Amino acid sequence: MSRNRTRLGIAGATALGLVAALLTGCGSDGDAGGGVTKLTFAASTFGDPGRGPKLTAWLDEFNKSQDKVQVSAAAVPYPTFGQTVLTQMGSGQGPDLVRFDMPEFEAAADAGLIAPLDKLVDVSKYDLIKQPDQFMVHDGVRHGIIFEASNYAMFYNADLIPTPPTTYDQFFSTAKSLTKGDVYGLAFRQTEAEEAGVWQDIFNYVYGFGGAWSDGKNLTINSPENLKGLQAYKDLYDANVIPRGADAATFRRMFAEGKVGMELNNGGYVTATRGQNPNLKFSVAPIPFPVRKQGAILAPIVINEASEAKEEAATFIRWALEPQNQIKLQEILGASSVATTTQRSAEALEETPFLTVFDELTESSLPQIVLGFEAKTPDIRKVVVQNVIAALQGKVDLKSALDRAQQQATELVS
Amino acid sequence: MRRFRIGLTARIIAVLVVLGVAVFPLYWMLVTALSSNADLFADRPRLVPDIGHFGVFVDALAEGKAAGWLLNSLVIAVGTMVLSVGLGIPLGYALSRFSFRGKAVLTLVLLFTQMLPEALMVVPLFALFRRFDLLDSLTGLVLVNSAFVLPIVALILKGAIDGIPRELEEAARADGGRPFTVLTRINMPLIAPSIAATAVIAFFHAWNEYVFAVTFIFTPELQPASVGIANFIGELGTPIQTVMAVAFLFTLPAVAFYLLAQKYVVSGMTAGAVKG
Repeated sequence: MSRNRTRLGIAGATALGLVAALLTGCGSDGDAGGGVTKLTFAASTFGDPGRGPKLTAWLDEFNKSQDKVQVSAAAVPYPTFGQTVLTQMGSGQGPDLVRFDMPEFEAAADAGLIAPLDKLVDVSKYDLIKQPDQFMVHDGVRHGIIFEASNYAMFYNADLIPTPPTTYDQFFSTAKSLTKGDVYGLAFRQTEAEEAGVWQDIFNYVYGFGGAWSDGKNLTINSPENLKGLQAYKDLYDANVIPRGADAATFRRMFAEGKVGMELNNGGYVTATRGQNPNLKFSVAPIPFPVRKQGAILAPIVINEASEAKEEAATFIRWALEPQNQIKLQEILGASSVATTTQRSAEALEETPFLTVFDELTESSLPQIVLGFEAKTPDIRKVVVQNVIAALQGKVDLKSALDRAQQQATELVS
Repeated sequence: MRRFRIGLTARIIAVLVVLGVAVFPLYWMLVTALSSNADLFADRPRLVPDIGHFGVFVDALAEGKAAGWLLNSLVIAVGTMVLSVGLGIPLGYALSRFSFRGKAVLTLVLLFTQMLPEALMVVPLFALFRRFDLLDSLTGLVLVNSAFVLPIVALILKGAIDGIPRELEEAARADGGRPFTVLTRINMPLIAPSIAATAVIAFFHAWNEYVFAVTFIFTPELQPASVGIANFIGELGTPIQTVMAVAFLFTLPAVAFYLLAQKYVVSGMTAGAVKG
């Protein structure tokens, strides 16, 4: 009995000690010392194999270039990046610098969570690329600088497809003929768990068939052109030419292993694919849909309005905009563009001849937002994706799904 | 005798099947972690681990990140377990033994908290934790996990205490025992299996928790393994073998803990189901 009491006493004391230690000692102020301001930079790209480590090294170059500001990568997992960072920023916390995707950028700008850059960065000093840069300014206020602009194109496995398709019919028949055994002709996202990814994918089908999510004033989700584009997307799904249920991480790995023939993806995928399989023979062509219009990933870098070190954060942005650092960033990002006009090196063009395909698509590429309803894009996206997936799964016909999405989204924005 | 043998064989087969179903995900993680890129999507998937690729575990641990994540998870899980069970015992005792106004309502409210999804509470709790300077600390995660698991811990322990005859306590009190002494010396040893069961529940809740951890922690060094593993999932690519290797390591401490506690758990789960 006495031994039991002793044991109980020791266990209790240990437990109390542990709790006390937890309640007093494990917090982190994350603050700086020695006159150095420490900043955090959140970007989902830090997690990309191939690009992540190079981007971290690029940050180190900034840190070595001066001794006042230190920028470190904040690790926020990609699947919940937007939700996590917006929650943190909405409560007056979060990273000092953020690389957003456009839907979250628009929502954050509209909510006043992003610091205006007009007084912090003199953009007249830099040769910014106008087409993507126009989306960084709202009502005359600049909220971001392009960190990465990446046009969508068709990636194809050159060993499986010697000549890339140039029409949708060829695209469909190529996908069908390649699908055999453990090889699939095509891959795209088709589950609600990857809502943002599905939105990116269907954007190309909608705009590539002459549709649009809005006319700038009214939503046009159920327009005949959109129906046509999304029917093309659904036809491919119904034809079983994609690895159904596979998420992007899986089918991209399959592409890198030669198990998927084609994918519509953005320029950033070049480096990521090489990072996974340097020996893969792949190439890129414009998306073979009737209209030459496709999505573009525009990823602005912004300063958190809640940051206590905005000037120091701007120091980093100014450093990033310097020509030599833009060139390095572009080389890391692969086929993506950066904020300013940069020339691709002869070595880069020799190594990746299809880089010019991406560059030629810049004028016909659009950010994946709903024009006129930019800040509401995440909400509209949710409604559209839910209804389109319901149609894919056969719960409702596609036209009814789009009518329903139109109605629900209109209620959201009115 | 023959019927007995057939029955025994059937039971052994049934146990092996159930065991296989339970262990298979763990085994498959190991096989995937130790597969080559070509094996991952081969026509016929590899069924046995390729030890030649063991380096993936070494690489995963080499940077020290994964070990740090696991340690953070352990601190959070043990902290949550200690705090929620420590508070759940007196709460369960009070609900079982004391009569007070609003007792039924309180019990219902405790049940109601179990119906709230975590995602619903992230924003209000974030604001609250910011005010109390509890963000970006393991302390904050211990508190929030304890808050979520405490009601179920208390209700299970209440059920267990309900099953102890009051006469035992009355005898102890007649010998001069105070309420705290009665609780610790009489009740706690008798409900030890239930305490073990609730400890397991609390530990696993905190060990697996993701939503609060990903939102409340900003410093990479403080992230638990549930968030650390998700960091491998990139926008354009995911190192599947590395993810599986770290996920496999992530399951091991939890499995070990459960094996240590499991002999108490089953009896604890059923204790209090029928009043004594």
